[in-house]
Amino acid sequence: MRMLRIVPQKCTGCDQCRLVCSFVQTGEFQPSHAVIKVRSFEEQVRFSPYTCFQCAEAWCMKACPVNAITIDPNTEARVVVTPACLGCGLCTIICPYGTIYVNPTNHKATKCNLCHGAPACVKTCPTGAIEFVEVEEPQDWMGSWAEQNNQPFLLALARGDYNPEIQKERIL
Amino acid sequence: MSNLRYLIIGGGPAGLNALETIHQLDPTPATLTLVSDEPPYARMALPYVLTGQIPAEQAFTGDAAYFQSLGVTTVFGRRAVKLDLAAHRVSLDDGQVLPYDRLLLATGSKPTRPPISGLDLPGVTTLWTLDDSRYLLRMPGERPHVLFIGAGFIGIIVLSALFKRGWQLSVVELQDRLLPTMLDRSAGAIVERWLSRKGISTRTHIGVQSIIQRSSGRKQALLSNGEALEVDLAVVATGVQPNRQLAVQAGLACDRGILVNEFLRTSDPEVYAAGDVAQGPDLLGGAPASHAIQPTAVDHGRVAGANMAGRRTRYAGSLLINTLDIAGLQCAGYGRSNTAQGDMTTAIGDDGWSLRKYVWEGDRLVGVTLLGSPEEILFDADLGMLKGLVQSQVRLGAWRDYLAKNPWDIRRVFAASRTAGKLLPETLLGRPAQPRAYRFQGIQPQTAPGPAYQHFAAAQGQGPESFPSVIEMLEGSKSQ
Repeated sequence: MRMLRIVPQKCTGCDQCRLVCSFVQTGEFQPSHAVIKVRSFEEQVRFSPYTCFQCAEAWCMKACPVNAITIDPNTEARVVVTPACLGCGLCTIICPYGTIYVNPTNHKATKCNLCHGAPACVKTCPTGAIEFVEVEEPQDWMGSWAEQNNQPFLLALARGDYNPEIQKERIL
Repeated sequence: MSNLRYLIIGGGPAGLNALETIHQLDPTPATLTLVSDEPPYARMALPYVLTGQIPAEQAFTGDAAYFQSLGVTTVFGRRAVKLDLAAHRVSLDDGQVLPYDRLLLATGSKPTRPPISGLDLPGVTTLWTLDDSRYLLRMPGERPHVLFIGAGFIGIIVLSALFKRGWQLSVVELQDRLLPTMLDRSAGAIVERWLSRKGISTRTHIGVQSIIQRSSGRKQALLSNGEALEVDLAVVATGVQPNRQLAVQAGLACDRGILVNEFLRTSDPEVYAAGDVAQGPDLLGGAPASHAIQPTAVDHGRVAGANMAGRRTRYAGSLLINTLDIAGLQCAGYGRSNTAQGDMTTAIGDDGWSLRKYVWEGDRLVGVTLLGSPEEILFDADLGMLKGLVQSQVRLGAWRDYLAKNPWDIRRVFAASRTAGKLLPETLLGRPAQPRAYRFQGIQPQTAPGPAYQHFAAAQGQGPESFPSVIEMLEGSKSQ
């Protein structure tokens, strides 16, 4: 199926994908309500977009007690049928990737639905860090990329070059 | 032609998921029969019925047309009373006898009844079934005062629903903390403090000895500390126990529940068990577990159904996961979350409510508790990534200490451990999951973009040339 392939090397952390995602998904410009996130690895000035893999097991879909998550017949995206959703949050806790959420405004589940076949984030990303392409199987694009940065990060951490003291307020 | 007679006892999520799986994998069964004492509905929807957010009908998980489409014969309102393993037969309470080639016991669980006198009084009830919910909603009074006997998972869920209705609430829990199967004492203390701020009185380490009817119509609960509480209603929520009587009488191997192996098979080769009643493989290892939760029922039902239909499917095991709204404080947990001793990390946020607790086994994560606002936990907390770390049992190496020191920075650990890459190829049944066939009122997903998207699309191409085409142009000019 066609899915979102992430190219973290190209991400500048500009957040435009989140801005447009929140708008097309919720009608409001509120990046914190977007269903694509930009994972920041600030000490290294590196960033990666991150969103639903449209995984084969569809954990969210199988766990939903009232079958409010299904497969869009056109795009094969796993989508929330909002009027049927209870807002119980079981999908949020069962997804092992952390890519389905309960929207704080309407208290219903929300996730990437591939914008019904023409993802706005792809059209908006100024550097092409998100591609909408035919892919056999989704890959751990962010994880593969992170691996290159991990060793230097851990070594620097051990040397005391970084003192992350990461406060939860800093993590968006 | 398989020509098998499939019989499923119990119409909860385990039973229905087994039915759908059998329907998908065996096109030629002789019969596919479902026996259920209640019509099929989602127990998880009941709190939303209690608050009035959804009509009772929205809790249903199947209707006549749906069962017909699956080729299922339904026997509702009847209870299985005898299982004859040698003769491959199940007898119902109306005298019907149903033969089977493959049997699934998905009989669920029922609330325990503690030894307290007065539990039969009107206005004293468990809250387990749709009928229980309807009963409570019929109770007179504007803002009745309800006593909760037991502060377990079900009790707190119902409590939160009634809190939204504005009812007055008191809780008495026999153990030393609230939510004892999910939380340790420090997390339990935060929850107690939160409830007290919401005007809900809690008493822990205290039992209810008896309930008596007052002439006023109210009830008086006598507590083990000598106190007498006067309330309008009482909800008994002291836990649930598996409905295993049928299996015990038939001589199937049972412990707390019906023991099943990694194929969800009981000690009889033609009999399977799934859901709350089954006690089977635990994903984190150790003794067989009975995890009475919706996701385990779904997994069990699908794996049992596949094996019954002849597709040998091994189940890795169930993981205890829970999420609940505690009158506005969101709680979530995975695995051995209530452990009080051993190798663990607990961090409490500046607000005094937000909590992260990690339980370790070497460099693997085996238990998690989160507390925080619903917005934080269900939108920003990377909750699911923690599930990925527990589910995959990935070895975190140096990242274990990193997470212990930076308990809110989950995503770096998740990315570094390549957890997504490990989990993406995994499917329960060895193939992509299919959506279930029934939905309330047949509501279909939206397949066209909404007005905001159309606005976005219309604005495309009106502004300056997009960056990607600029980059392409620059790269093109470089190569020339």
